Amino acid sequence: MKSLKWTWAAAAAVALTVSGCSSNNNNEPAASSSSSADASASASAAQSGSPSASAALPEPAKLRIFTENNTAWPPKPDWGVWKWVKEETNIDVEQVLATGPESLALAVSSGDMPDVLSVFPNDVQKFGSQGAFEDLSKHMDKMPNVKAFLDSHPDVMSRVVSPNGEIYSIINDGAGEGSQMVWFYRDDIFKKNNLEVPKTWDELYTVSKKLKEIYPDSYPFLFRHGLSTLDTFGPSFDIYPEFYQDPADPTKMKFGLEDPNAKTMVEWLNKFVKEKLIPPDWLTMDYKAWTQFMSTNKAFVTVQFIGQIEIMNSQLTDGHLQFMAPPIGAGDKPYLPKGGQEGYGLAVASTSKNMDAAFRYLDYIFSEKGKDIQSWGKEGETYTVVDGKRKFNDNYKEANDLRVVSGIQTAATYGWFDFNAWLSLVKPEEQYAYVEAPKYRFPVAYSRPNLTADEAAALSTSNDQLWKFWTGEVTKFINGDRPLTEWDAFIKELGKHDLEKVRTTYQTALDRQLANTK
Amino acid sequence: MKQSVFYRIKRNKVYLLLLLPTLLYYLLFHYVPMFGIVVSFMDYNLFKGIWHSPWVGLKHYRMFLSNPDAWLIVRNTLLLGLYKFIFAFPAPIALAVLFYEMRWKKFRRFVQSVSYLPYFLSSVVLSSVMIMLLSPSTGWINKAIQSLGYEPINFLQRPEWFRTIYIASDIWQMTGYGTIIFLAALAAIDPQLYEAARMDGANRWKQTVHVTIPGIIPAIVIMFIMSISGIINIPFDKAFLIGNAGNMDTADIITTYVYRIGILGGGMSYATAINLSLGLVTMLLVYLTNAASRKVGETSLW
Repeated sequence: MKSLKWTWAAAAAVALTVSGCSSNNNNEPAASSSSSADASASASAAQSGSPSASAALPEPAKLRIFTENNTAWPPKPDWGVWKWVKEETNIDVEQVLATGPESLALAVSSGDMPDVLSVFPNDVQKFGSQGAFEDLSKHMDKMPNVKAFLDSHPDVMSRVVSPNGEIYSIINDGAGEGSQMVWFYRDDIFKKNNLEVPKTWDELYTVSKKLKEIYPDSYPFLFRHGLSTLDTFGPSFDIYPEFYQDPADPTKMKFGLEDPNAKTMVEWLNKFVKEKLIPPDWLTMDYKAWTQFMSTNKAFVTVQFIGQIEIMNSQLTDGHLQFMAPPIGAGDKPYLPKGGQEGYGLAVASTSKNMDAAFRYLDYIFSEKGKDIQSWGKEGETYTVVDGKRKFNDNYKEANDLRVVSGIQTAATYGWFDFNAWLSLVKPEEQYAYVEAPKYRFPVAYSRPNLTADEAAALSTSNDQLWKFWTGEVTKFINGDRPLTEWDAFIKELGKHDLEKVRTTYQTALDRQLANTK
Repeated sequence: MKQSVFYRIKRNKVYLLLLLPTLLYYLLFHYVPMFGIVVSFMDYNLFKGIWHSPWVGLKHYRMFLSNPDAWLIVRNTLLLGLYKFIFAFPAPIALAVLFYEMRWKKFRRFVQSVSYLPYFLSSVVLSSVMIMLLSPSTGWINKAIQSLGYEPINFLQRPEWFRTIYIASDIWQMTGYGTIIFLAALAAIDPQLYEAARMDGANRWKQTVHVTIPGIIPAIVIMFIMSISGIINIPFDKAFLIGNAGNMDTADIITTYVYRIGILGGGMSYATAINLSLGLVTMLLVYLTNAASRKVGETSLW
């Protein structure tokens, strides 16, 4: 019996190891992709010894740059953007790809950070003050173009400067117009059925009801970003869901859900869900399901990224989508979130051994020349000048091809983007949305003032608590699992989930920011 | 005569070599990272590293215990683990016995192989398949429910469905593969015992109850003790992938919370403190189960 027992224990141990190994596979892509990036980058280094590199160029350098890994524009080491960087600055770039939201944290903690990193403001908040990123404000003498850029962009400046005056990242600018959320609708279906474009949520409801009658198996109103879509719905009710600077009193932080308009917004959504005008799985809908609904005449009004209008129009064989002004839910003006801002910025690793090259790189991409080359490429190579106007070569069929083919307008390849490059490839009939959208900007941006390291650490669990509570409860309200009569109780319960602590902290931060800018 | 250690190593070198990969795996991925638990007593600065971060004692443990969400998350984890244990543990035993009793060998081999397949699906694939199947607007399962005249069920947005979905998909995925150990145990049962039982007039059912099951009890006990630790250590991926704001009330478990706070939020120390406390509880559970099984029966892990 004794020996039998040990045999079982051993067999079980082997089985556990096997399953342990297989579950561990999840971590592997991070390692393997970075090693493949290594290999490909050395390949690009070999290719890019370009003849145009003149004697005036600074000495050669190598930089590892941490960038996004987007399946819609898979990164390639031979992208034109990197070649132009080499030609202009004599820097060989090796891309290190982010494979998931945790990649940056892992890169920072590994002790082997890439030299230049694409970061979002909340990454900077987390790691900047811990010493992971170099304080760029000390090096402005080496980056005259960055300094000039920040001086001419006070809004970017206010977002990057920390409470103690450090600058841990420079946020990109120029391409934000391409990544805003807008409303659009099937103008052919509306015309066919003699329906008016809704101007208010009330009209949106009536028109959705009518569409549901005509197309019984449709869900007339569709969105695919779950609760984050409230960030776009909010402004049509004069709010954002969480914290932002109150437009009525810019010295105060406001928590949008406390505004009575938030209740109205949730009431509307609840009504839409109850009457099946929104699909019941609105919370978990993915892009594939969204395209399915849109392309099979099962949804007619939607909220999505602005570029999706053109993408869907090229897929719709008979049907057409058009930009729609946001319907008014409360107040008297239609609003979209204040778009036009970018999220991604660039930071320099404090451990970098190539810091001077990193500064040279930043200075180049934020210069006028760098802006032009990284947005347009080079004459003869990517575009020709016809009648004094630039025209991209024929291999760029739509705007997204700029990213796919040459890497133009992808993370870390530019600092300051010339959006006209992008627009020049948007079909003339699709440019309407880009012209219209900026007219509906909400007066304030959906952003929070920068915190000190201690403040951020003190809030880490409170923010999670508050977020988890409100998203869970608002979902219940929308799905009808909690009656809206309990809304006031919900607002009171927010207090139990550290609302006041979070508010006070951000209020302090805002007061400090306002005092600093005076 | 006592043999020298060197001689014994030489004599058993093949077995030791076989052991090596497993040993290395545990050493590298389970024992070396264990030293990281010191960060739970520090205000760990990701960048300065272990040597230069300030010590703060039990601050993070106190923080977790005073967090109103803590109780809910621990409860969710324990309940999910417990239900998983109750429903998923006996499943491979039953299936193995069924396989064993099946007389049509070709069919048995076919079904066995098919039952192993789901195990090799990654949880990411499995979760997206489930999200598609269970969708109330386009999913097949809800289409079937509707064709029977019922209202579609919003499986993935309802907290009360999360555990059912999680455990049912776990059973579907793991049961076939889990039979392997029990089938090996069944193969080791002495056929003479069945002959003797038949002589005594035992029918198939009696043979199963009195010969088959007792024959694999040692294997069952070992697996039982090992799965006890699974009550608390629930893998992160599936809960994270099918969790959302709608089912958060039951779907937020320790591993997903630790991911949000620790890795996304950068609170490494806090997350480590939570994990370490649970590791201790798990160890206690396994130790108690083992002790109990040693008292009651003759089989135990150590």
